[in-house]
Parts: sequence; structure tokens; C-alpha cells
Amino acid sequence: MLTGPPLLEMRGISKDFPGVRALQDVSLTVRAGEVAALLGENGAGKSTLMNILSGVFGSYEGHVLMNGRQVSVHSPRDAQQLGIGMIHQELNLVPELSVADNIFLGRELRTRWGALDRTRMDRRTSELLSGFGLRLSPRRAVRQCRIAEQQLIEVAKALSLNVRVLIMDEPTSALAAAEVDRLFGVIRNLARQGVAVVYISHRLEELDEIADSVTVLRDGRLIGRRAGREVGHAELIRMMVGRPLGDLYPREQAAMEGGEVGLLVEHLNLRGDQRNGRAALHDVNFRIRSGEIVGLAGLMGAGRTETLEAVFGAQPRRAWSSRMRLNGRPYSPRSPHHALRRGVALLAEDRKAQSLVLQNTVRFNISLTALGQYRRWGVLSRRLETAAVNGMVRDLRVKTPGLGALVNNLSGGNQQKVVLAKCLLTRPRVLLMDEPTRGIDVGAKAEIYGLMSRLAEQGVAILMVSSELPELLAMCDRILVLCEGRITGEFHRGDATQEAILEAAMARTPVLAPGA
Amino acid sequence: MSRRSVPGQTPAATTERDGDGRRPLEPVVAPPRTWRERGGRVLSLLGSLQGYIGLVLVVVAGVLTKGDVFWNQQNLTNAVGAFSSRGILAVGETLVILAAGIDLSVGSILGIGSMTAALLLTRWHLAPWEIVPLCMAVGLFFGFCNGAGVAWLRVQSFVMTLASLTIVRGLDRQSSDNVSVGTQVVDANGQLAPFSAAFQGLGTPGHNILTGLPLPIFGRTGVYYPVVAFLVVCVMFQLVLSKTRFGRHVYAVGGNETAARLSGVNVTAVKIAVFSLSGMLAGFAGPIDAAYSASADPLAGTSYELDAIAAAVIGGASLAGGRGSIIGTLVGALILTLLDNVLGLNAVSDNLQLIVKGLIVVVAVVLQRPGLLISLGNFGREFTRRRTR
Ligand SMILES: Nc1ncnc2c1ncn2[C@@H]1O[C@H](COP(=O)(O)OP(=O)(O)OP(=O)(O)O)[C@@H](O)[C@H]1O
Ligand SMILES: [Mg+2]
Repeated sequence: MLTGPPLLEMRGISKDFPGVRALQDVSLTVRAGEVAALLGENGAGKSTLMNILSGVFGSYEGHVLMNGRQVSVHSPRDAQQLGIGMIHQELNLVPELSVADNIFLGRELRTRWGALDRTRMDRRTSELLSGFGLRLSPRRAVRQCRIAEQQLIEVAKALSLNVRVLIMDEPTSALAAAEVDRLFGVIRNLARQGVAVVYISHRLEELDEIADSVTVLRDGRLIGRRAGREVGHAELIRMMVGRPLGDLYPREQAAMEGGEVGLLVEHLNLRGDQRNGRAALHDVNFRIRSGEIVGLAGLMGAGRTETLEAVFGAQPRRAWSSRMRLNGRPYSPRSPHHALRRGVALLAEDRKAQSLVLQNTVRFNISLTALGQYRRWGVLSRRLETAAVNGMVRDLRVKTPGLGALVNNLSGGNQQKVVLAKCLLTRPRVLLMDEPTRGIDVGAKAEIYGLMSRLAEQGVAILMVSSELPELLAMCDRILVLCEGRITGEFHRGDATQEAILEAAMARTPVLAPGA
Repeated sequence: MSRRSVPGQTPAATTERDGDGRRPLEPVVAPPRTWRERGGRVLSLLGSLQGYIGLVLVVVAGVLTKGDVFWNQQNLTNAVGAFSSRGILAVGETLVILAAGIDLSVGSILGIGSMTAALLLTRWHLAPWEIVPLCMAVGLFFGFCNGAGVAWLRVQSFVMTLASLTIVRGLDRQSSDNVSVGTQVVDANGQLAPFSAAFQGLGTPGHNILTGLPLPIFGRTGVYYPVVAFLVVCVMFQLVLSKTRFGRHVYAVGGNETAARLSGVNVTAVKIAVFSLSGMLAGFAGPIDAAYSASADPLAGTSYELDAIAAAVIGGASLAGGRGSIIGTLVGALILTLLDNVLGLNAVSDNLQLIVKGLIVVVAVVLQRPGLLISLGNFGREFTRRRTR
């Protein structure tokens, strides 16, 4: 099936940014019906290569061939005319427009009289979304959708284009297993219809399932190409990182029992809000000892993010009620400002919208929350600030041309590291992490896990939400499972399994367990 | 395609690798003395100098057309002096714009400030050091109202300050019964009264603002308080923006409000603060304007907000928030004022002046855009490639 002539060929592609050589002489071929995975560390140049293919960057060196004929892609329009569609790593939806309007943006369906044909667009939207098992009103504003939903909307938008080449840049970084499975169904379907798919992901397990071939980049150079299912993870990692990687998950021994309770949450109730897509919480109770890493699992919309936000004071005070204690003292977070002052930090889910000032520098972003530490008589000391920021940049290996670089110009994974650095500089006692390794490469993941273990050893209480079950299973002392705003399961390190967690996560869906 | 680069000349291409395949630490922040760093410094310096192109062009135009008539201390000081009160407004405006807002009420607040000053002076014969703080308090009050409306009632700043523009102007005209109030009060022998002379010193050279006594003349102009006040305000607020936590928070709120809130920034307080400061500076500019024009007109300051916004924008502030600086605004203000001056010296008609000034705003904004040279280069390449295909 995959022996035909290549549908898409990129030859000798190079690209420079001021001070950065992002790509050097990279080639890539994809046949019709092939799912070609693109792999590499953060900042390796994957997104840049694909942005070139979709016409985001007007200029590049090298050649692009479709069906053996040389074509030029210098604008997104060129790409569209060639049948190349791309799902970008950073979401590109218009927040104020509805789901349907976003999907049909620029290609709106009209009635015979030229008016917008909303009925037809809504119907088509529902069809597309139900392909992923997503029941979402086409009229809801995208602003009100959670990030996983937004990711699926992006996919639906690309699908509605009838493309010949579909580029997916980390489409699953915010999706949980169930949604990923459905997405793969859709991808296989496309491949059967002869679409060439370029698939970027940092989750190696996904490649086993979906990829026909794997192409690895490192530091902007092509390292090699392997056929999909015959290559082991160890080899892929070696190709990506340039050396074998030790244990991915460094955490072996669980926290000691009987440590002090860092965070105690009792009877947390949160009013749901249809309008901004906020899930409700019902009587959520848990405690985290200092030095403990607790995971929070659940499906999309189960209330994981809302739980973290309530504890961080990011939900309006009127919407929730709870008795909380922090290190034994009563705690009632009125605002993030207040929570941070008490030593609670949140790594938010959506780095672009909630965490980064994209048009400002790496230095500005990393030190923003901790500025109080670098003041001398009310004046910021650039020396202290630089020392702290530099330390973080080095520890987390943020790949940046300098502290003065705009965050917007960093690769996605490196932006995530900036957010993490910002959180850590506040020296939190309780660390709330929402998908902390979203878009982060394997090597860096290992480093972040190591960092989390060290923090726990120093007595920080960590509550982490993740859609990647292997990550939760390996890192957490305990895992809480949320389903529709209620805690439906709690597992200790020894007895947690993927199946048990998934079952608890779906405990309240009527099909599976009536009256759980 | 047509672009060629020499490997090894781009700094990033020199990322070296150890023999045993282990990667060295990323060249994150090289020690400041490498060539790469120096090259970066030079480039960024050139980039920041680009903002001064407009200023240089205006000065060159002035010198070429009028020579010494333009380029002498007296003319330049007069030109800047005439613009100082608007320059002070521009500083406050920059703060608000950095926080992604806009303040349309500064002209009106300047108006009510100047009227307050004139009334305090003529009715109660107060000294400048009493008048100025009271006017600042008046401005602060209205600025605070703006901030409260924006931050607490969540009215968009354009709407909120549009409303206070008319409200404050109405109060101003009401309090003066629509007549202008002169600030030059003469005593029985027809001499300028000392308190009035002191007040005059705020706007014109020649009098000590504390004692009202004549001042010795420095150079050919004497101490020009409006210019001094403008420069001091610029320096102060540039330092606040770049050296304090509050300054960083202003940039953060303008750059991404949600991220700022989740980073522990008290967004409400920052918004109220920038509007209050803007109002306070407008109140401060009031007495200066009154002294400069020797009277408080009920219409004083009308449409000054537009000059203030223009100065900030020419100086590189982005109306989307999060980008700009006071230094930039100072340059923007200088461009506007010197341009006024050059056009005036060349006897360009008022109507033509308006047209030219409007065009200059657009040209200056385009000229000061970072990366302009690069994008011009790209455009050229694109253009030639399309043509040859
Ligand atoms: N617009 C830009 N300006 C300057 N540098 C850029 C720009 N876009 C990308 N870069 C740089 O190019 C390099 C490659 O970035 P790219 O986004 O392609 O990485 P990536 O492989 O997609 O990484 P990730 O897995 O983190 O998404 C990075 O070092 C990045 O800093
Ligand atoms: Mg990327």
C-alpha cells in the first residue's frame, strides 16, 4: 500500500531566524495514505518545518514537491490551494466566535440568497464533532470551551477542508486516552482515503499505534528515518537526544506516611456554569501531605482543572464553598495573589492564554511572579533577577538565544518550560500542576520528573493533573479520580492500574455503571 | 530559494557537540563577552536607534530650511516649552496604554486643573507650592474615578474616559461661568503681585516660583519650569516602569491580563493606579498650562488627549498594550513639537499643518517599527522572486 510514489516531498529545507538556525538541509517524504511521524526534542525544528510547508513563513531555502512537481508555498493561501492543511501546535481559534463559525471561518456556507446558512453549518459541525464523540453545541463561543475541546475543534476544522496533506502538530497534547483513541480512528480513516498525514507528538506510545514511518530531527538537522512499528523507543530516544536516556521516571520510593498535612480540602463544592463551560464540583475531599505527590485523573470535563483553580483562588469566591487548611492554618483563597502569598502556586493548563505574556521576554515572564524577591528598597535589582532567572533557564535547559528573547519565538515545549520556571521561582509549599509536561520532549520530561521528586523530598506538596496515565502511575504516591465533579476513586501507589483508574473515571457514565 | 546563507556565520549554527555524543549544556546565556553577544548588542542597539529616525529627520528638515533660526537654544526651548503640558499628559497616557487601556479624559482634566489653579490664585492668592498639589489632587480624583469604572464596573476604558471627558469639561465650564480667568494679578501700583509673579514662573522664564522674585537669566532663556517639569516627570516614570515591580505589573496587565492575574498580579489595583496616575499628571499639567498662557480658558486642553496619544504611539507604544516606554514617548513628543515648530517657522498654513501632522503620525509609526529593515528586505526579495517567476 505504501510503496507508491511520494505525494509530498521536501528537499534540502533550511531556515534561519535572527540568531537561530532552525533548520538545516532537512528532507521529508510522505506517500498518500501514510501517517508519517515527526519526532525531535523541543526546539528541534519540527513546527518550523511544518510551518514552512503550510506557508506560514514566506521564505525558506530548499524545494517542496507535490506528486513529483515542484511547487512553491509562500503563503497560507498557496498551501490551501495545494490541499495542505495544518493543525497548529498553539491553538488558532477566534475566542469570541462560535464553534461553527470557527470551523467555517473564511469558507462560510451561504444560502441561495447569500445569507449565512447557519443550519447547514451547525449540522455539519455537529457531524464533525460527533466523530470524536464530542457533544458540543455548535453555537457555543470557543472562549467557553476547555482546551481539549478546542484541540478537537481545530482538528474538525482541518478535516472540513478536504485536504490531501494534513499536518498535525501535537494534536493530542491536552487529550486523554479515550479522546486520543477516537482521534486515531479518524486519522486511520483519512489515511485509508489516501490523505498523507504528518503527525508530531512527544508521546512515543502513540507512534507505535499510528505511525507508518518515523522521521527524527535534532537541532534542526535530519537524523534519520525508520519504518514505524519496527523501531523501539530506546532507539528513537537515542536518535532524538543523541544519547541513551536513563530511567524516565526517577521516583521510586513513596513519601513517608505520617508527614504533616500540607493541604486539606473538605467539602469543596463549585457551582457549574454553562456559559463559560465550568464544570461543577460536588463535595470533593482530599488531603495532601507535604512531600507527597498526588495525581488527579479523570476525563475531559470531570472538574480536574476546576479543582486546582478553586484551591488557587482563580475561581470567583462566590462560586465555591469549602473548608480548606494550609499547613494546619485556615485557608480561604480569595485570589491568585492571595494564594501565591500563602505559598500555593499553579501551573495553568493553557500556557498561551493563561500563563505567558507572549510579546515580552523570557526574563520578564520567568521572574514576573517572584519579583518581590528581587527588590532592594523597592527597586528591582537586575543582578539578583538575572541570577535567579539564569539558574532556572539552565536547570530546565530552556533553549533560547538569550534572556531577552521574546517568548513568542520559542518552541512550544520551551514555552512550557518557561511557565514551569516561573512557577518554581515562587518557591511554593503547595504546587498545583495542570498537565505539567504538555508538549515537552522525553528528555526534558525526565528532568521535570526528577525536579518534582526533588521538590517532594524538600517537603513540597504536589497535586498534579495529567491526561497521561503512565505519567500519573509512575510519579504519584496516590491517585484521585474525578468523574463529573465527584471523587469516584482513590488508589495508592501499589494498587493503581490503568484499567482501575479508567473504570473509576467513567464510574458515573450511565452506560457503564448505573448507580456507582 | 533565492536566499543564501553561509553556515558558520549564523551564530546558532555553531552549537558544538562533544566527542562522546553527549550534548553540552545549551548555550543559554553566553558570558557577556563573546562575539555573538556583542553582535547581538550592536544589532539591538541599532534596532533601538531606529526609533530616533523620525526625530533626526525633523531636526534635519528644520536645519535645512531655517538653519540657525531653528537650531538655537531659545527657539528650541520655546518649542518644547509650548508642548510641555501635553508632554506631561503623554507620560500618563503611556502608562494607561501600556496597561492596554486608553485615557481620553486627560485634556479635560488638564482644563479643570488649570481652572482650579486660576481660581485658587485669583480668589485666595495661594502660592504655587500650594496650588500645584491641590490641582494634582483634583486630577487624581478624576483619574481614580476612571480607574474605578474600568476595574470595578468593567466599563471599557474608551467608553469610561469618553464619558469623563465630557463630564469634566462640563464641570470646568460650570465652575468658570464660561469665561476665562487671567492669572496675571496686578497690585495697586500696577505691578505684578508677588504671588502672581511666582505663579507665572511655572509657565514662563523669569520668576522664581517660590519667592516670585526675578531670576537671573541662564544662557538666553532662563529657567524654563515647564521643560524641567516635563523632563523630570519623564525620568521619574521611566524609572518606575523599568525598575519597580509596579512597572513590570503594568506591562504584564497590558500584555496578557489573564496571565497577569494568575501570576499573582493585582490587576484591579494596577488598572486603578495607572488611571489615577494619568489623572494626577493631567492635574499637574493644569497650572503649568495656565501659567504658560497667563490665563485659564474654559476650553483649555481641548483635544490635547489626541496629541498625548499620538506622542505615545509615535514613541512605539502599542494600543494593544504591553509594549512601549516613556523614553519612546519623550521622543514622540519631541517629534511632534519640533515638527510644529518647523512648519510654523516655514509659514506653512494651518490647514496644511494639520494634514502634514496626520501623515507624519503614520510615517513615524511605520518608521519606528522594529524589524522594519528586515521586513523591507523580505518584501524586496519576495517582489523580485514573484516577478522573475
Ligand atoms: N519566529 C521565530 N523567531 C525566532 N526563532 C524562532 C521562531 N520560530 C522558531 N524559532 C526557533 O527555531 C527553533 C525551532 O523551533 P520549533 O518551534 O520548530 O521547535 P519544535 O521542534 O516544534 O519544538 P517543540 O517540540 O517544543 O514544539 C527554536 O530554537 C525556536 O526558538
Ligand atoms: Mg513545535
